[in-house]
Amino acid sequence: MALSRRKFLVLAGGSALGAVIFEACGVPSRELLVESPIEMPEDAVTGLDNWYATLCRQCSTSEGVIVRVIEGRAKKVEGNPDYPINLGKHSACCEAGLQALYHPDRLRGPMRRVGERGSGEFQEISWEEALDELVAELKKYRGSDADTVVLATDPLRGHLGMVAKRFADAYGARAMALEPVEQSVLRGAVKVVYGQEQLPDFDIENANHILSFGADFLSTWLSPVRFAVKYGQFRGKRPRGTFVQIESRFSATAANADEWVFIKPGYEGILALSIAQVIISERLWDAKAPPAMTGGAWAQSVQSYSPENVAKDVGIAPERIRELAREFARRKPSLALGGDLPAAHTNGSSNLSAIYALNYLVGSVGNKGGIIFNPEPPLPELPIGGGETYKQWHDMADRLRSGRPKPVNLLLVRGINPVHSLANLDFKDALNQVGKVVSFSSFMDDTTAMADLVLPEHVYLEDWGDDLPNPGPGYRLVGIQQPIVRPLYNTRSFGDILLTLAQELGMERQLPWGSFKEVLEDGAEKLFDMGKGSVKAPGFKAFWSGVLQRGGWWDVEAKSTAVAPVSPQLPEKVEKPSFAGSDGEYPFHLLPFQHPTLTDGRGAHLPWLQATPDPLTSTVWHTWIEINTVKAEEMGIKEGDVIAVESPHGTIEALAYPSRAVSPEVVCIPIGQGHTYFGRYAERRGSNVFAILAPEKNDKETGALAWAATKVRLTKTGRWARLSKFEGEGSPGIQTEERDVVQITRTES
Amino acid sequence: MAQQSEHKWGMVIDLDKCIGCQACVIACQAENNVPLNTEEIFNQKRAIEWIRVERYWEGEFPNVKARFLPVLCQHCENAPCEPVCPVYATYHNQEGLNVQVYNRCVGTRYCQNNCPYHVRFFNYWTPQWPESLRNQLNPDVTVRSRGIMEKCTFCIQRIRRTTRNAKREGRKLEDGLLQPACAQACPTSTLTFGDLNDPDSKVSQLAKNSRNYKLLEKLGTDPNVIYLKKVDPKAAEELHA
Ligand code: SF4
Repeated sequence: MALSRRKFLVLAGGSALGAVIFEACGVPSRELLVESPIEMPEDAVTGLDNWYATLCRQCSTSEGVIVRVIEGRAKKVEGNPDYPINLGKHSACCEAGLQALYHPDRLRGPMRRVGERGSGEFQEISWEEALDELVAELKKYRGSDADTVVLATDPLRGHLGMVAKRFADAYGARAMALEPVEQSVLRGAVKVVYGQEQLPDFDIENANHILSFGADFLSTWLSPVRFAVKYGQFRGKRPRGTFVQIESRFSATAANADEWVFIKPGYEGILALSIAQVIISERLWDAKAPPAMTGGAWAQSVQSYSPENVAKDVGIAPERIRELAREFARRKPSLALGGDLPAAHTNGSSNLSAIYALNYLVGSVGNKGGIIFNPEPPLPELPIGGGETYKQWHDMADRLRSGRPKPVNLLLVRGINPVHSLANLDFKDALNQVGKVVSFSSFMDDTTAMADLVLPEHVYLEDWGDDLPNPGPGYRLVGIQQPIVRPLYNTRSFGDILLTLAQELGMERQLPWGSFKEVLEDGAEKLFDMGKGSVKAPGFKAFWSGVLQRGGWWDVEAKSTAVAPVSPQLPEKVEKPSFAGSDGEYPFHLLPFQHPTLTDGRGAHLPWLQATPDPLTSTVWHTWIEINTVKAEEMGIKEGDVIAVESPHGTIEALAYPSRAVSPEVVCIPIGQGHTYFGRYAERRGSNVFAILAPEKNDKETGALAWAATKVRLTKTGRWARLSKFEGEGSPGIQTEERDVVQITRTES
Repeated sequence: MAQQSEHKWGMVIDLDKCIGCQACVIACQAENNVPLNTEEIFNQKRAIEWIRVERYWEGEFPNVKARFLPVLCQHCENAPCEPVCPVYATYHNQEGLNVQVYNRCVGTRYCQNNCPYHVRFFNYWTPQWPESLRNQLNPDVTVRSRGIMEKCTFCIQRIRRTTRNAKREGRKLEDGLLQPACAQACPTSTLTFGDLNDPDSKVSQLAKNSRNYKLLEKLGTDPNVIYLKKVDPKAAEELHA
C-alpha cells in the first residue's frame, strides 16, 4: 500500500504532527464501520487499525517495518515503504517478530537459579532482588578485578552500542561481541581493498552483469531483503542483465543465477586472480582501472594464474574461465561480490581480496552498477557493529576454562547464545568454570539455561532502539525502533538496565541518562541540529515525532566522499586452502550454510520460521544433509536415512536428502537447529552443525573460523525418520506429468 | 445473473523475478490466520499454504537448474470447483473472485478434488494456537473451524477495507494502493495485483507482456492469475504450453 494511505502514528513524542513536512495522515473522525447488511459475510470489515513504524531486529540487518496494531495488540508486520534499506518489502523473518512477542515460552520476569547449573531450574524473583544481586557482584570486582567481568553481546550498533561500550569502559570490564557467522573476513577485505571501514552498498539494480562468488545474497547474506529488492529491479530491466554465481554449493542464490558454476571449495580467490590474468593479458580492462593493476608488479604476479595453470585446482575448464573473464569485462557495468563460502576457508581473506579487486579492473569501484561506498555515521561515537573474531572467542573459552591469565568472575550475556554458536569450543563446559553467569535473554535458550541470574529484556517490538545498518544504503541513515505495544511481561529494556546499573555504581558521569529513550532523544537532537535529511521540522518535538512516524532519519545527500585508493593493496597470491581431515579418511567437504529462515539459529524458536519450507529441498522443522543423488545411491542412502556425520572434531546426525544439485565431493547441512533449550518449537530438534567444525581451522589473516574447512565421513545408522517437507507425493502441488507448468523463454521481452 | 462490477481483480506473476524466498507464504499465513503447520501436519501432507512456492528441477549436476513457481488460487472465470459444491459455499463474485463462504461449507471436499491447481485446503482439525499466540490473529479474518475448506481469497478483507475507505473519502481507488499480503511482502515484486478492468493499471499492462501464459491453460479454466515466463537465455529448451 502506498505511503499516502498509511496512517503512520507515533506512540510517544507529542502531537505536533502538522509541522512535519512529509505527509502525515490524521485519524479519520468517522471510524469503526461495521456495515454491510446486504453484503456477503466475507465482506465484513472490523475495527480501527493503526500502523506504527519501527525496526525489525530478528536478523543482524534491521529492516524498517510498520506494525499493525488493533486494540493494543500487534497483528501484522510489513515493510516500511519509506525505509531506505527495504523500501516496503520484508521477509518471513520480519513477519515472525509477532511470534517472538507472543511466544508462549517467553520469560516473564527475573529469575535466580535454584537447581544445579544447567538444570534449567529457576525461581522467580523481583527486579529489586535481581538488580541488587547483580550490583553486589559488580561492586565486588570493581577496581583491580574489573577485568574479570565480561560483557558479551551481539554486535551492537547505534546508541545501545555506545551505552554498552561506555558502561564497559567506565567499569573496566571486557566487552566482547559475537557474530555466530562472522563477517570479519569481509570487513577486513573491504578495508584492505577499498580502504573502507563501512561495508559498501552493492548497486545490483544498475549492474549489467553480476559475478557473485559464494555470496548467498538473496537468502541470508548481509542484507537479503535489500538485495532481493535490488535483484527484482535488476530482473525487470531491459536489456536484461546477466548473473553468474560461482559457488561450491547450489544455494538459493545460485538457483536464481542465469548460470551456476561449481568451484572446488576454497579456490575462489585463485579463480578470481585467473580472471584478472585473462583481463590483463587480453587487455580488456576499463579505462578507469588503476595503472598499478594493469601494468605494475601486480599484473606481473598474477601472470602465473593463467586459466591453464589453475583449471585443475579450481575444477573449471580453461576456456570457461576465459569466458567468465570476458563476459565480466565486456558486459559493463559489472559487479563482483563475494562472501559466505569463499570467506569461510583458511585462505578466506585473500579469497575475498582477490574477488573484490576485480571491480577495479572493470571500473566498478565507486561507480554506477558497482561498489558504492557508505559514508561515516552521522553522529560520533556510534559503533556500526562487528564482533570479536573466532580466535578471540577461542582464547576467551580457554580463559574461562583455565582461569588464566585471570579467571572470569562475572559473565554478562546479551543477545547471543554462545553455547549453541560456539558448540565446537564446548562453551557450555567452559561456562561451568565462570563465577557467575547473568543472562538478559527473553527466552530460556541454551546459554540462559546455564545462567545463575536471568534479567529478561523486552523483545524488540516492546523496546526502544536505533540502528545504523551496515552496509547502509549509500547515504546516512539512522533507523529508529519504538515500542509498538506495551511490554507484556515483567521485563525491562537492556539499555535501561545498563543505565540503572551505572547509577548504582556511580558511573553517571559517563552515563548521565535516566532512560535509554533519553539517550535516543539526545542523539536525535543532534540530528535535528544538523538541519538536514528526511525530516524537517521547526522544533525538536515535531522533529522527533516525525522521526518516529517515519521510522528513522536519513539524508540522501550525505554520501561518501571517499575515493578509492590509487594503488590499492591487492593480494599478489592466494594460497591454497587447507582442511581438517584427510581426503582418505574424510571424503566429503562439509559445507554448512545459514538456514534461510532460522539463519544462524536465532530464529529456531519461532514456529513460522520452522515451518517455512527451504526453497530448494522444501524441508521443514529438521536438520537435513544434502548428498549428491548418484553418490547416495552408490552408498545405499535414501531420503530420511539417519546419517552419522563425523568430522575429526565430532559427530552429529542428520536426515539424508539426496539432491541432484550437490557435487559428489561435498555435503551441505543447514545451521540453526540442535537446541537443548529454546522454547517448545526449537528444543531437541535436529542437530547443531557448529559442533563438528574443526576449531583449529581459521582464516589466516583475521582468525575467523574457517567454517567450510572441515571434512567429514558419513555412516548410515540404520535408522530412518520421515523428513518433513512440502514437496512429494500426496502434497498439494500441481501433480501433472506435463512439464509446461513453468514456462521458459530464451528471449526477453 | 451477477451484475457487472467496476473491478475485476487479478494478478500477474513474473517468474523471471521469483527467488523462492517464501516471504509471500508467511505473509499470507500471518494475514489470514492460517493454522500453524506443525511437523506432524507436514508429515500427514496436510499443511495449509494458500500460496506456495513449487520448485522444479532441471538437469543433473553440474548442469542443474531450479525453477520456482508461486501458486495460489487462480480465481478462474470457469472455476471447476464451483459447480461441484452442493451448497454453493464456493461461488464466483462480481469482481472476478472465487469466493469461499465458510459458514455454508459442509466439508464434502468435492471442490478440492476438482481443483487442478491443488490450492484448496481442508481443515482436518480445529486449528490450535497457544493462548498467547492468538493475540496475533487478524480480527478481519474468520478462523476456520474443523471440517471446512479454505483457500486464497486475494485478501478480500483488504479489498473491502481499501475500497470502502476510498468510497467513504470520495476518492478513486488508486492503482497499487490495494495489495494482498503476498504481493505486499514480495521483495522482488514478482507479484503484481490490481484491477484487470482498468486498462491503465500495472497489472493490465503487465498481463499484455508477450511472455504471458496461464497455468494449465488448456483445461479452459480461464484464470485471473497470469504468469510471465521465466527468461533463461541459456535454457536447454524452450518450454511452451
Ligand atoms: S515472495 Fe516473491 S520472490 Fe519470494 S517466493 Fe514469493 S513470489 Fe517468489
